[in-house]
Amino acid sequence: MTTPALKVTDLSVWFETESGRIPVVDRISFTINAGDATGLVGESGCGKTMTAMAILGLLPASGVSVESAGIEVNGKDIFNLNARQTRAVLGRDIAMIFQQPATALDPVFTMGQQISAVYRRHAGGSKQHIREAMLDALESVGFSQAEDIADAYPHQLSGGMRQLAMIALATVCKPAVIIADEPTTALDNSTRTLILQQLERLRTLHKTAILFISHDLNVVRQICRDVIVMYCGRLVEKTDCPSLFIQARHPYSAGLLSCIPQISATRPTPISSIPGQVPVLTDLPPGCHFAPRCTRVEARCRKSVPELDDKNGSGAACFRPL
Amino acid sequence: MNKHDGDTGKPLLELRNLSLSFHRQKQVAVDRVSLKIAAGNTLGLIGASGAGKSSIARAILRLIKPDSGEALFKGKNIFRMNPQELKSTRQRIQLVFQDPSASLSPGRTVEQTLLEPLQHFAIGDANYRQEKTLQILDTVGLDQSALRRYPHQFSSGQQQRIAIARALVTNPELLIADEAVSSLDVSIQSQILQLIQRLQKDFGITFLFISHDLAVIRQIADDVAVMYKGQLLEQSPADQFFSEPTHPYSKTLLAFATGKTPKSWQGDKWFLERNRRSAENSSTCVFAEFCPDKMPRCEQLEPAMLEIQHKNQHASGSHCVKCHLYDEVKTNEH
Repeated sequence: MTTPALKVTDLSVWFETESGRIPVVDRISFTINAGDATGLVGESGCGKTMTAMAILGLLPASGVSVESAGIEVNGKDIFNLNARQTRAVLGRDIAMIFQQPATALDPVFTMGQQISAVYRRHAGGSKQHIREAMLDALESVGFSQAEDIADAYPHQLSGGMRQLAMIALATVCKPAVIIADEPTTALDNSTRTLILQQLERLRTLHKTAILFISHDLNVVRQICRDVIVMYCGRLVEKTDCPSLFIQARHPYSAGLLSCIPQISATRPTPISSIPGQVPVLTDLPPGCHFAPRCTRVEARCRKSVPELDDKNGSGAACFRPL
Repeated sequence: MNKHDGDTGKPLLELRNLSLSFHRQKQVAVDRVSLKIAAGNTLGLIGASGAGKSSIARAILRLIKPDSGEALFKGKNIFRMNPQELKSTRQRIQLVFQDPSASLSPGRTVEQTLLEPLQHFAIGDANYRQEKTLQILDTVGLDQSALRRYPHQFSSGQQQRIAIARALVTNPELLIADEAVSSLDVSIQSQILQLIQRLQKDFGITFLFISHDLAVIRQIADDVAVMYKGQLLEQSPADQFFSEPTHPYSKTLLAFATGKTPKSWQGDKWFLERNRRSAENSSTCVFAEFCPDKMPRCEQLEPAMLEIQHKNQHASGSHCVKCHLYDEVKTNEH
């Protein structure tokens, strides 16, 4: 069996507060193979971004505790590294594309300077070599005028171009794994198409493994093979994309799917929605966290926590799956 | 709240040749836009970021000054109203913004936020105002305990409900929603869309719904208006638009929205050029550069807005398109 590009085993994150530990991510395990894309979906506050930050070791040292039985990139454990070791890994083996490129990029450096800095740190080489790698990265995300973009400051680029430049920044060292956190959420449809095309190209051309975080299942469907659904820090369903769209098994996944407005020639029937809202983390219901909003709830759902029902660690975490 | 009815079908708001520019940058934001919104209908205004959608919304409320043109609200030109008339019109037209956490005052309780429009427009006495705020909270699906709380104590979906409540409290006839669901989770988005549909059914409110998300527009719009580089390129009944878009740009938008790559696609050139407007725009079609169906005259002559007649006319508004392809074909056989 091949080594997966990213393997996360029993990852948990807690907020440490005066009134006790608050679970934010609760024993999550998954793997992504080289050249595959996995979608991580769920409503805001379900722990998607915290999962990403924990994998990258970007959470602050105080106030938050992270536990895991291992986070491996190409078989190399990157969990529990010190700050210096983390810096050596980020950008080279695993990189992140943030939701807000406007705030993630440094406003006082040109795109060229920022991308070169990453390459110099990890690969090094002559000035000329670094510049070539930087222009290469910009060209590879689809910029035909790479030199112009390299000389531009982030504020001189439109939102979509900034996001593309951000992808160039994340991929200049050709990392094995890319975590994309809602990379298309704030963008219009044409821009979104371009960003997705570039991620798709990375996946097929460089065999980059992609963890694609989004609340929009329509987008996840376009580029991911597998999908993980999170609710209140827990994994509630893990399956491949086609199966989820044909028959979601967890009531929460089914609810998310029914919320998506569809474009059709005839006027759609009124949209449905999941009743209620995500509970606050300090006041999580016992048993299955989704029980209070679930239409299929029964007595045991409120007492014990269901596990994923397939032996190989996938399936739905539900006592009464659809 | 009373249901606004009686005039269903007549345009509640009509824009005539509205133009607007930001002089510093010599940037034309809105270029001779004419459109109508029938009372009780929802017009979906779509287009990529920077097309001029929000500028139109702001111009209607005179938050920014247009260069020329008219905005007729119930037949009266908003741009020529005296301060008193303007004030009473603003009570009838309300705006809901994209980001509720930024558009609600963080230092005011929900009660203060909801009372302010009533005080500003001097609507009713203290008792009426008290009753009205409670009633409006109920309408948007929040309970009374919300009154004493501050915006940060609510989730983003609840905040958007408060923003909608603030807009509704003056009994507006026209609600302009500028990307009002774009920053919300899909599950919350669907709850807000349901709320908007219910408001329309119960109170007959007319909506100008601005969004770049075509799936959302499909869900709630009766008519669709498409903007590109400040110009209106097509206005059409939603059923017509989504089954058979007419303008090449509309086809492009619909292709992107359904995850296809249209044939006019030119990668990053699209980003560089799509919001760049030149002074000589008027002699060409604005979309000519990226149009897959471009003809020689598209770069020589600006097309006129033509009304297309359909044999089986859709129930709602008329169908207009600004494209040389339809210069001769004025009647579309079905």
